[in-house]
Amino acid sequence: MSGAGRTRPPDRPADPGAAGAAPRTRTAARIARLLPWAVGAATGALALGPALGPGFVLRYDMVAVPTPPLSAVTLGGGGGFPRAVPSDAVLGALGLLLPGDAAQALLLMAVFVLGGAGAGRLVPAGRAGAAGEAAARAAAAVFYVWNPFVAERLLLGQWAMLLGYAGLPWVAAAAARLAAAHRPAGPRDVARLVPALLPAAIGGFSGMVLSALVGLPAAVLGGRSAARALRAGGAVAAAVLLLSLPWLVPALGSGARTDPAAVGLFAARADTPFGAAGSLLSLGGIWNAHAVPAWYGLPVPAACRLTLSAAAVVGWVWLVRRGGAAGYGAGVSVAAAAGLAVALAGTTGPGQHALSALIGLWPGFGPLRDGQLYVAPLALLQAAGIGGAVLWACGAAPGARRRAGGGGHGEREAPGEPLISSQADSAPPAPHGFTRLWTTAVPTLRRRLRLPEAGGTGGPGGAERPHAAGAAATAPARRAPGACAPFAAGGRGASERAGALLGAALALAPLALLPGLLWGAAGRLEPVGYPPEWHRVQSLVDGDPRPGRVLVLPWSAYRGLDWRADGRRVVVLDPATKLFDRRTVWNDDLRVGDGGRVRVAEGEDPLARRVERLHAAQPGIRRYTRALGAMGVRYILVERRAAGGPAGTGSEAALGPLGGENRFSPGAAGPVAVHDGARLLLLEVPDRHVDPPEDGLTGLEASAWFVTVGAIIWSLGESGSSLVSRRAGPSPGAVSRKENPT
Amino acid sequence: MIKILAACVIGAALAGGLAFVGTTVATEASSSAEPVNRSLYNYGDR
Repeated sequence: MSGAGRTRPPDRPADPGAAGAAPRTRTAARIARLLPWAVGAATGALALGPALGPGFVLRYDMVAVPTPPLSAVTLGGGGGFPRAVPSDAVLGALGLLLPGDAAQALLLMAVFVLGGAGAGRLVPAGRAGAAGEAAARAAAAVFYVWNPFVAERLLLGQWAMLLGYAGLPWVAAAAARLAAAHRPAGPRDVARLVPALLPAAIGGFSGMVLSALVGLPAAVLGGRSAARALRAGGAVAAAVLLLSLPWLVPALGSGARTDPAAVGLFAARADTPFGAAGSLLSLGGIWNAHAVPAWYGLPVPAACRLTLSAAAVVGWVWLVRRGGAAGYGAGVSVAAAAGLAVALAGTTGPGQHALSALIGLWPGFGPLRDGQLYVAPLALLQAAGIGGAVLWACGAAPGARRRAGGGGHGEREAPGEPLISSQADSAPPAPHGFTRLWTTAVPTLRRRLRLPEAGGTGGPGGAERPHAAGAAATAPARRAPGACAPFAAGGRGASERAGALLGAALALAPLALLPGLLWGAAGRLEPVGYPPEWHRVQSLVDGDPRPGRVLVLPWSAYRGLDWRADGRRVVVLDPATKLFDRRTVWNDDLRVGDGGRVRVAEGEDPLARRVERLHAAQPGIRRYTRALGAMGVRYILVERRAAGGPAGTGSEAALGPLGGENRFSPGAAGPVAVHDGARLLLLEVPDRHVDPPEDGLTGLEASAWFVTVGAIIWSLGESGSSLVSRRAGPSPGAVSRKENPT
Repeated sequence: MIKILAACVIGAALAGGLAFVGTTVATEASSSAEPVNRSLYNYGDR
């Protein structure tokens, strides 16, 4: 990285401080580049708080276990829908190096660090100078990882999906870089996409669906021609497909189906006073009322969040019109609009019918039922828009900066690197509509407030008078490096102060308006330790070399755990479903309370449906044992406390034939107890009844992993990167300001 | 630049401190929203 002084043009006025400008600019540029990472880490620490300490965070779908297994089952073998592939395998692989709780904390922090850094790097520097650039990037980074979407998904325990969310800005940047390349996309470009898709690849199918939603339009709409756009889109699709193989192959062969009737259960809902649409626009609206952060629905903060989101959208429009989102602007806009449309569709009757029909047509459309998931691209748009708003406050023209010797679009101008817009070279379109109103109203307002006139920077509408382009390009010559651009000559101090103030306010606003995410989401993400019995049972089952599955009872997926012994229960997917290195069979039906009654979305695992039918047939204990053995079940794990509910709660029925008079004492005719503790009862089906199952990876599944892992290794070698895009040219600090537009 | 960083740090510290105190006080209230006294739990409630 070299300083601005290296390329200082000859027409630059003599500056007494010029001798120190280069190192100062280098340092400022380095800070601006690293700040989003630091902001992501800081927000992660603030949000997770106690969750980063010893112990396991258990909440809804977030389940981590001691010694997480890395087995054929976690890699996708054994049948059933691979909902946790490959996220559980990654957790298991990390568990080989770290304790299970540390691996979980690392992955949770990765959500914030990668997401914050990616969003921050999307914001262009433009003419904001180092201070404005840093403020804009920090504001974007904070907004992206501290919003209702992240809070609600975290409270629902969907850490794997959030990893994919964290990767979205990287995907948008990589797709835009690909589309803006001078040459048509080729295999090497697919290799450069793969690192950006890695977080989504770890997250599994939800993350990859979101990545495709952002990456495909960004690649296609950012292309220089139709042919190149198609090739870029094809490259993105190929990369997405390559990294999806570990879960896609088992999913296609699982025979799993999605219940179309569940669309209404998982549709977005109003969790603010502004209805479902208002909630979605402010990035909330999750279906589960228990996944809403504390103090979330209070009218005043909710109104402020909605206002902030609206301001972010205006900032985005300004950024795009000024060329500050070159390459990815159109794609992210389309992705956000499409995602919002899907989310809104689930809130209307006709939309629900349409989604149900789609899912009935092909179960692959099943992910569409969780509509709020698809506001993720809108979150990306708003985060970049907040950065744009800060740039505007700094009087920056995001698209007007140019590298020395560079010009037009190219790989070096891609997001994540300083952005350059070809729009800066041409006169912007004549203002119209809102833009015209803005461009006439703002100067009037400034005059009345006795503020200095804008130095050719325009307003959120992005339009300037046609002759102002030259004025905009010459404005930096009148300011010191590292300063926000002045609204006019002589107004630098006021402009800097205003920009700094707004930048700091916008960076902190998400925290102030969503305090329920602070410190472990107000205590809801506190870690717990597994009772010793769980370790004992895990070692017993994992220590048995004989093949066979584990049936988990009571026949219900979610438990209310009180392991902190403080009177509070945390609802969580039964940890036993992930505890063992072999296939578990559990009731994956999803029970959802809706208006005072419980509705059930049928699960996806065909084997679970067979067990369900067996329970419904109410066989005797002998026949039940034989039938389970024929399904490959070797162990039955009964959680006593979950099964010990009061009469009428359904707990007895949930034990199947093990309930009633046979409860926990099946005797010689049935399975044999190998662990009988206060919390857990582990029963073993006699070996003579067990039909050893084939739960290993099929050849096709193993090939899918081979291809995906090989592609990742190849891509890392090709791109020379782990996640961060290869720096193909000078760093931001090396960018010379084009003092003279001619 | 230094002003912005200082403003961010001070503001974050203030917000964090206030929120920490607030959340500590209100943790009981927020957790009471969880469904309790049931042996079989729903995935969630709309």
